[in-house]
Amino acid sequence: MTVAIETNAEPRLPVVDVRGLSLAIRGRTILDRVSFDVRRGEVLTLIGPNGAGKTTLLECMLGLRRADAGVVRRDACTLSSWRDRAETFAYMPDDAELPAELTVSHVLDHARRLARAPADLVRALTTRLDLSTLGSARAGELSRGERRRVGLFQALCTSCPVIVLDEPFGAFDPLQLRSILELVRERASTGTAIVASVHQMADAEKIADRVLILASGRVVAFGSPDELRARAAAAKQGGRNPPRTLEDIFVACIETEPRP
Amino acid sequence: MISRELAIVLRARVTWIVAGLAALLVGHGFVLAVDLFTAGSRSVAGNVLMAREFDPLAGIVRPTLGGLYLAASLLGPIAAARAIAVEKERRSFGALVLLSGSHERVVLAKYLAALAGGWILLTGPLAAIAAWRAVGGQLAFRETVVALVGHGLYIALVTAVATAAAAWSRTVAQAATLAVVVVLASWAIDASEGFAALAWLGRLADWSVTTHLTPFERGILPLGAAAWMLSLTAGCVALSLVGARFDVARGRRTTLAMAVIAVTAGALVVSSRIHRAYDFTEAARASLPPAAVAGLRAITAPITLEVYLDRDDSRRRQMESDIIARLRLALGDIRIEYPLDGREAPSEATHDDGYGRIIVRVGGRHAETQSTSRREVTTLIFEAAGQPLPDWSQPAYPGYPLVVGRTARRALGVCAYIVFPGALFAVGFLVTRSKRRTS
Repeated sequence: MTVAIETNAEPRLPVVDVRGLSLAIRGRTILDRVSFDVRRGEVLTLIGPNGAGKTTLLECMLGLRRADAGVVRRDACTLSSWRDRAETFAYMPDDAELPAELTVSHVLDHARRLARAPADLVRALTTRLDLSTLGSARAGELSRGERRRVGLFQALCTSCPVIVLDEPFGAFDPLQLRSILELVRERASTGTAIVASVHQMADAEKIADRVLILASGRVVAFGSPDELRARAAAAKQGGRNPPRTLEDIFVACIETEPRP
Repeated sequence: MISRELAIVLRARVTWIVAGLAALLVGHGFVLAVDLFTAGSRSVAGNVLMAREFDPLAGIVRPTLGGLYLAASLLGPIAAARAIAVEKERRSFGALVLLSGSHERVVLAKYLAALAGGWILLTGPLAAIAAWRAVGGQLAFRETVVALVGHGLYIALVTAVATAAAAWSRTVAQAATLAVVVVLASWAIDASEGFAALAWLGRLADWSVTTHLTPFERGILPLGAAAWMLSLTAGCVALSLVGARFDVARGRRTTLAMAVIAVTAGALVVSSRIHRAYDFTEAARASLPPAAVAGLRAITAPITLEVYLDRDDSRRRQMESDIIARLRLALGDIRIEYPLDGREAPSEATHDDGYGRIIVRVGGRHAETQSTSRREVTTLIFEAAGQPLPDWSQPAYPGYPLVVGRTARRALGVCAYIVFPGALFAVGFLVTRSKRRTS
């Protein structure tokens, strides 16, 4: 039986606006005036080489790390309190562990109650993420893939307008990955914006409406895959191999970026 | 939020291991106390005067709670600090704050859950008390409850110290170590008692937790000590709230922490000036005779006691636990001064002829004695006030000597060393064991 998430096609208006986020640690620039917006119902993927500042950027946007400068707004209002942020963002960190003492059903129940998520969504996510068989297992005994599925449930089971996922797809086999990419796309189609930092270009290409490429803490490219492709092709005018895939675009952007 | 935190604390192995070990320490203290009490009771043999000295609160409850004190001080911080520190180790603290929308909610829920886990340690003494009753031992309800309340407050304080330590450090190990060091600092102050060379530490006696816990163990409810412990607990919780604010710059957090410490120190000083206390002991045996109490309270002039005894003098300690404690119960505002404490490096050689004097000042009049006897000092106060000593009769405390038979003693030993700790380990095993996955 396929359990679908109800879709809600609305025009893609900006929901969160990030302006000029900067951060330096011990004189080293981690983020350099990063600006972008997040639109309702889109999947925005964040890609960049290791150490580019992807996780730091997400943490600064969420308020989990203090930026030296910059502002995050929702509907033109600055997000300054934790209550505002909690009402705006749901988050799945990359490396956080689940509470090992609790059973999966306890973790899911807590996420459901805090998010006040509708029962339909809870049911759909439980089925799509194949969590119903894990209910009585302790979170500390789950495999990496199972932990990521529980983490995805916690993030996706929300009424917040923006879901932030840090490296969400790394732990899955190809079949699971296909199903989860589909789920993320469906979740976005309900009007919720998804911001995901992704390492695998193929994964990003499958789900991204827009892509933000970060290198050395700076935005080196931002736009839809088609826009980026056109821009990269124009930049490589006269070249023999115009960029076709997101990976080509990424390599082209990083190669033209001056080394720090 | 609180249900999640409670579940994490109650399903953590460390909570139950600490509870089991605490029960073992409590049980050991209990068995030793029963043996001593039994040995002493054998020699009473119908002597009413000797029987009065057999006080189960002092003879059984207090040594039993000694084990709890040790466990709460040294093992309690490990379990309590874990509540916040484990989230930091798991790198999930920030996400939890984001999910709940408030640091305060997370920290308070963590503190309350850790406190609930800490109060599990009270099951050891409660079981020991039940066992004592089961073998025919006597315990007065109200004074026993007061002693347990004192230790409940102490656990709340240790939990708050551990929570604050966790909020300001990164790992469980760092937090537990920091909390234990803070507890040991209080012990260092206690260690100065009876050592003239450590007299400089004695000035900090008002900052020792033990000083404030002792009256509870004697069946006295001291408002000042309760307020002191609650103020320090609240201060540590406030410090936790500041420490957990990872979104605030380090400098500002430090400034806020200093402000919290200053306010807490102020609250502690104010609490130390509250001397009102209530005697909940059976037959009010911790107090002076009722007529003397009424007479003392009727004296309107300020009363001061100047005690010329060094802090390592056993007479001074005997006075503090007897006449001074009783006078404080009767008169919350009585002033006790130790002029010799101000001297540099006091020693036996420096004692002059005035050493050992106790000067009683009532208004502008004074009287002097070398005796530390309860009745003598009280008589002097009334003399200085120009009044005769009121009726000195007091309701008789019968005392409850009890010789625990060999079989009952053996049963108590099995309970204390095996059944009570074993029960806690077993509960821990049941609630923390892995379950089969549903298929």
